[in-house]
Amino acid sequence: MQCEEVREQFADHVRRGVGEPLRSEIAAHLAACETCRAEAEELTTVWTAMGSIPAAQPGSDARARFDLMLGAYQQGLDQASARGLWAGVNSWLSGWWPRQPVLQFGIGLGLLALGVFAGFQMRPSSALSTVQRSNEIAELRGQVAAMNQVVALSLMQQQFAGDRLRGVNLSYQMQKPGQEILGALLDALMHDANVNVRLATVDALRQFGDQAVVRKGVIQAIRKQESPLVQVALIDLAVDLKERESIGILKELTQDQTLDSAVRERAQKGLSELE
Amino acid sequence: MNETDENLMLAVRNGDVGKLGVLFDRHHRSLFDFFIRMTGRRNVADDLVQDVFFRILKYRKTFRDESWFKAWMFHIARNARVDYYRSHQGEAILEDDHADGLQSSSPLPGQELEHEQQAMLLECAMFKLSPDKREVLILSRYQDMKYEQIAELMGCEVGTVKTRVHRALKDLRDIFFQLSSEKPSCNVKKSGNSLRIM
Repeated sequence: MQCEEVREQFADHVRRGVGEPLRSEIAAHLAACETCRAEAEELTTVWTAMGSIPAAQPGSDARARFDLMLGAYQQGLDQASARGLWAGVNSWLSGWWPRQPVLQFGIGLGLLALGVFAGFQMRPSSALSTVQRSNEIAELRGQVAAMNQVVALSLMQQQFAGDRLRGVNLSYQMQKPGQEILGALLDALMHDANVNVRLATVDALRQFGDQAVVRKGVIQAIRKQESPLVQVALIDLAVDLKERESIGILKELTQDQTLDSAVRERAQKGLSELE
Repeated sequence: MNETDENLMLAVRNGDVGKLGVLFDRHHRSLFDFFIRMTGRRNVADDLVQDVFFRILKYRKTFRDESWFKAWMFHIARNARVDYYRSHQGEAILEDDHADGLQSSSPLPGQELEHEQQAMLLECAMFKLSPDKREVLILSRYQDMKYEQIAELMGCEVGTVKTRVHRALKDLRDIFFQLSSEKPSCNVKKSGNSLRIM
C-alpha cells in the first residue's frame, strides 16, 4: 500500500474500525514507514485523549422544562381540536354529500315545486279566509260609501255655496248612490240659488243618466231653469242621453223669443240630433 | 417492552405526543453533550435541547416511516444551532472565544493533575477548530456515530466524512501540540454559564 492509501484509512484506523485483510496491510505499511507510523500514533493518541474529556450533565430542571413545554403543546392541540369540531362536522357531512352543483340545484328546484304544490293543496282553507277577508273589505267599503253619502248630503244642505259644491263633488265618487243622494242632487238642480252649484249638479247627474228618475228630473229642470248656462248644459245632457221625451220642451224653447238666443240655437241643434 | 426510538416517534407523529417524554429521557443528555461541546455554554446548550424537542413536536409529521430517529433528531439539532447563532450574532457567544476564557480550577496532585491539564488543553484545542471540523469529530467520537450515519446526517458520501474526520483530527493534533508547548496558555474557567472541565 502507498502512504496516501494508508492515510485515507486513518479515520477508520484510529477508531479500530478497519477489518481484515486491510488491517494487516496497514499494519505492514506502518511497520515499514516511519512517517506514517508516527502520524498514526499521534492521531491515535489524540483520539484516545479525547475520551478523557468528560461529558457535561444537563441542568436538573431539564425534564421539568420539557414537561412544561409538552403540556402547553398538548393544551394547544386540545384547543385546536375543539375549534375544529364544527369544521369536522362539516367535513363529515360533505363526505356524505360531495359537491355536485347540478344535482343539488335540481333537488333544490324539486323541493321548491313540492312546496308550491303543497301550498295549493292547502288552498281551500286559505281561500275561505280570503273570502272572509273580501267580505270584510266589501263591508268596510259599504260603510265608507254610506259615510260619504251622509257627508255629501250634509254638505249639500250647507249655507255656503262652496260647501254645497264639495257635497256635489263627493257624489262623483259614488258608483251606486242611494235615492236620497239622487233626490238631493235633483233638488239642488231645481232650487239651488248658485249657478255654479247647479252646473256642477248637471255634471254629477250625467253618470247616473241610466236611471229614469234622473232623466225625468233633467227634462223638468230644463223648463224651470232661468240661467242660460244651466239651460244649455241641460239641453246637452238630454241630447247625450238621447232622451226623446225632451223633444217637446226643446220645441217650446226654440219658439220662446224671451230666451237667450244661444239657448234657442242649442235647443234647435238638439232637436235636429234627436229627430 | 423496550420500544425502539422509531416506533416511539411514529406514535408521536400519529398524535400520541406523550411518548416524546420517553425519547427525551433517552436522548436529551447526548443532545446536551453535543451542544455544550459545540458551544461551550451551558445555558445555551440547555435552551437548544428544549428547542430541539419543541421542533420535533412541531415537525413531527415530517418523520417518515423509514427514517432513523437519531439522524433525524441531529438534523434538527444542527439547524437549531445554526438558527440560534444567526439570531444571536450581536452577542458575545462566539464558540472560538471559549478557549480563551478557560482557566484552571483548584490544583490537583501528580498524575491526576497531568491528566486534567491534558484534557483541558485538548478541549481548548477542540474550540480552536472550525465549527465544521469540531462537529464531525464530536459526532464520530462522542455521539458514537458510524461514518455512514454521519454521511446520512450531513448529506454527503462516506468517503467525504472519512476525509473530514482525518483532517479534523490532524488539525486537532497540531493545535493540541502547539498549546502543549505554549502552556500555560490555555486555562479552564469554571463558571455557571461555561463548560466545566472534569
